[in-house]
Amino acid sequence: MNQAEVSKLVSQLKTTVNPRLRKFRNPEGPEGRLDKLRKTVTALIKHERIELNYPRADEARMYAERLISDAIRYGDTHKTTMEMADYWLVEKQLIHKLFKVLAPRFQNYDISYTRLIRAPRPYPGPEDLKAVLELRGNPYPSLRPNGSYNRNLIHNVLLEEAKKAYRAKKYAEIAAKIDAVETAVGLNTNSQTDVPENDEVVAKEVEDKSTKEEK
Amino acid sequence: MALALNIVSRTSHSISVLEQQMQKLSLVVFNSKREKHLNPKPRLRNPTWLVRKTRSHTDDPITFENREFIKEIVQDKLVQSNHAIDEIATNNVIWTPNIQRTGVIARKIGVYPLWLKNGSKMQTTLLQILDNHVIKYYTPDNYKPHKEIRPKVYNKKGCILLGAEFGDPSNFTKDYCGLFKESGVLPTKWLARFFVSPEGALPLGATISARHFQVGNYVDVRGKTIDRGFQGVMKRHGFKGMPASHGVTKTHRRGGNIGGGGEKARVWPGTKMPGHMGNTYRVAKGLKVLRLNTKYNVIWVSGQAIPGETNSIVYVYDTKIPTRTPTNPLPLPTLLQQTDEDVPEDIYDESIHIFSDPTIIFNEK
Amino acid sequence: MLSIFSKRPCIKCFSETSKILLRCSSQTATSTIERNKDQLKRQIVEYRHVYPEFLPDPKIEYRNLIREKLERADMVARRTQVDIPEFYVGSILAVTSSDRHNPEKPHRFVGICIKREYCGLRASFIVRNMIDHQGIEIMYNMYDPTIHKVEVLRLEKRLDDELLYLRDALPEYSTFDSNMDAEILPEGTPVPINPIKVKLKPRPWLERWERKNLKGIEELDLPERFFKRAKELEKPWEKYDLMKEYMRTIPEEEQIEIFSEVQAELHKLEVQRKKMKRKRVIVKPSKLA
Repeated sequence: MNQAEVSKLVSQLKTTVNPRLRKFRNPEGPEGRLDKLRKTVTALIKHERIELNYPRADEARMYAERLISDAIRYGDTHKTTMEMADYWLVEKQLIHKLFKVLAPRFQNYDISYTRLIRAPRPYPGPEDLKAVLELRGNPYPSLRPNGSYNRNLIHNVLLEEAKKAYRAKKYAEIAAKIDAVETAVGLNTNSQTDVPENDEVVAKEVEDKSTKEEK
Repeated sequence: MALALNIVSRTSHSISVLEQQMQKLSLVVFNSKREKHLNPKPRLRNPTWLVRKTRSHTDDPITFENREFIKEIVQDKLVQSNHAIDEIATNNVIWTPNIQRTGVIARKIGVYPLWLKNGSKMQTTLLQILDNHVIKYYTPDNYKPHKEIRPKVYNKKGCILLGAEFGDPSNFTKDYCGLFKESGVLPTKWLARFFVSPEGALPLGATISARHFQVGNYVDVRGKTIDRGFQGVMKRHGFKGMPASHGVTKTHRRGGNIGGGGEKARVWPGTKMPGHMGNTYRVAKGLKVLRLNTKYNVIWVSGQAIPGETNSIVYVYDTKIPTRTPTNPLPLPTLLQQTDEDVPEDIYDESIHIFSDPTIIFNEK
Repeated sequence: MLSIFSKRPCIKCFSETSKILLRCSSQTATSTIERNKDQLKRQIVEYRHVYPEFLPDPKIEYRNLIREKLERADMVARRTQVDIPEFYVGSILAVTSSDRHNPEKPHRFVGICIKREYCGLRASFIVRNMIDHQGIEIMYNMYDPTIHKVEVLRLEKRLDDELLYLRDALPEYSTFDSNMDAEILPEGTPVPINPIKVKLKPRPWLERWERKNLKGIEELDLPERFFKRAKELEKPWEKYDLMKEYMRTIPEEEQIEIFSEVQAELHKLEVQRKKMKRKRVIVKPSKLA
């Protein structure tokens, strides 16, 4: 149980963070791992949508999110943030894009800045999982399937009907309760007895009824 | 119409009579002992609650409104099952050491030190008692163990099935959800069975809180150890290994000799060798309950070597170590929840130093 | 056919307070209430230097929100009984604790804090001094109920986060007078950083200090091969690993969540401490006279 580092303040990432980082074993060791990842991050910032193997996409996503969140938080006048941008973006003209285009774009985002979508793999072919990694707010057409006909699918139609029936039952129960209260009040006024006492009794009765109904 | 029915019933009656007679005949004819085994194979049958739990993931595109509707139903059910049973009938039986109470499902939430009144530090593990609900109860005669026991059992125990932590019913299979129908509880993520004496039986839907246990008593905790994978002999069994230098080649972390040779010419069963480590159930026995938090339902038990990782599920029950059975009677079948009762948030064992107490000063004896 | 990848569970602790605090940072806060909130947020975020042990271990496997909450409540309860002031690695402390072998007289130890580690109730610090030409170090648990008092005799920081190299330094660097008086800093001044460079004894050492990239030691008199090897073992790429950095820290949103929970109590204790300090200042001249 060690202490958390307090020297630098970071914003919380809006994506889920894996408990462990992937190793991406290669001859250059851990330095080579970062080298691989920064190529991916650069490509993502440049093209805004890339297709690649799933593990690399998942890993690179976290790094891209961190880079953008730091750029939003500290801006281009902060020295270490600028150093980071310089390291992570291999093509240097993208540094301008990061601070001038992406940081303002994601300024008021409450959700993640990137989107990771599983892509189909070629068959027959290598069995690696594929993914599409994209920045939100990109100019390309959406990759999500068209959901406008989902309403007409059989399970949705059935659920719709079930919902109507459930609601009708609920409303009927509520209406019955109100009716019971009203009739009770009406009776009370007719008989002209002590209203407050009886009211309480009636309320209790109504409650009892409702609980029975629930059971 | 009635006549036709009458005829049918008559004929069926006559057929059943005929069958009975045939059976008698057959008993006489085929009464051979060849079918019987002296030592029949033990028949292992799975417990009734061991059904497939999670539904296979489907990609049905459900509309937003319908998803909200499903959530609404689950929420309504949740409210109902939370109000299932708040009162437990006491049968006015006072606990004695040979009465076994139910255990509970808990979560190991971490380890931190407490200090004793004599100034010494003690590592404690925090166990959060989850919202346990009684799902099923099998009476002693009704319960069939999954492995039949040959010798006659005296003082036979019943079996309680507990569930903890409500899950999303749409993720569970129909069979699994069916287990909860009788009790009226929403399907839970975790199930566990505990043997209880008939006096310790609980009604269906009843809940158990952290005050089921009492400070100063001892408990056993069963959990699944951390899965460490295939490990060498040094990590798995704590062997010493061999020197790093002085002419040692390629045998720094090896086990060395495993016996054999001579007349034996084989390896004894149970010899400590490399293999899979962890991911088995282990019981930490005789742990003292040092502190109780009634707000979050947390108990502090002594020791830091409780099996399982942080946030893993463990099962807690009264200790079975005979020398540590409590002297005072325990609440049976569990502690009754009284709303008007004024319960302190923290209950401490008398040996524990409370953090809001003044600094410890040693007195000369 | 594409499918949206489902989210895995993670610890998220946004409460209403932190959300409000965060929102007010992004908007242009004009009203005074929002400005006050902004100030409060900044104040809370500064707590991480003064009370680092209130932040949990960032390792995700060890985290549990209920455990952390209970732990914090215990820590605050202990702090109401003993005054644990703000101090850093490099500050000179006097710790008074009851001694079971000498029940009449509590034991007072003066020395320099060379390390602070762990979080929660197991937080500890090491105090070092030379007594009779013998280096003495005592590791105290910060929330140990046998500790009577922690006085800060000199509040300052050093150039490094750990001063374990004082074990291999010349003895004068870790020698402090046990009858030292407390030095009082004027209110509102930032914590001074002592730029002292320590001279190490010749090898052999307890650790290979030339490989640690230390700022608080004088230039080492070693053969070239030591520096060459240190250069080989350097990991200059590690500072660019943004995720490793993230996994070592607690994000700001969570910090606000944590500290706003205990802020009221901690603030009360601070006010109390300031009052006590003023009293002591008045008493002092009469002692001297």
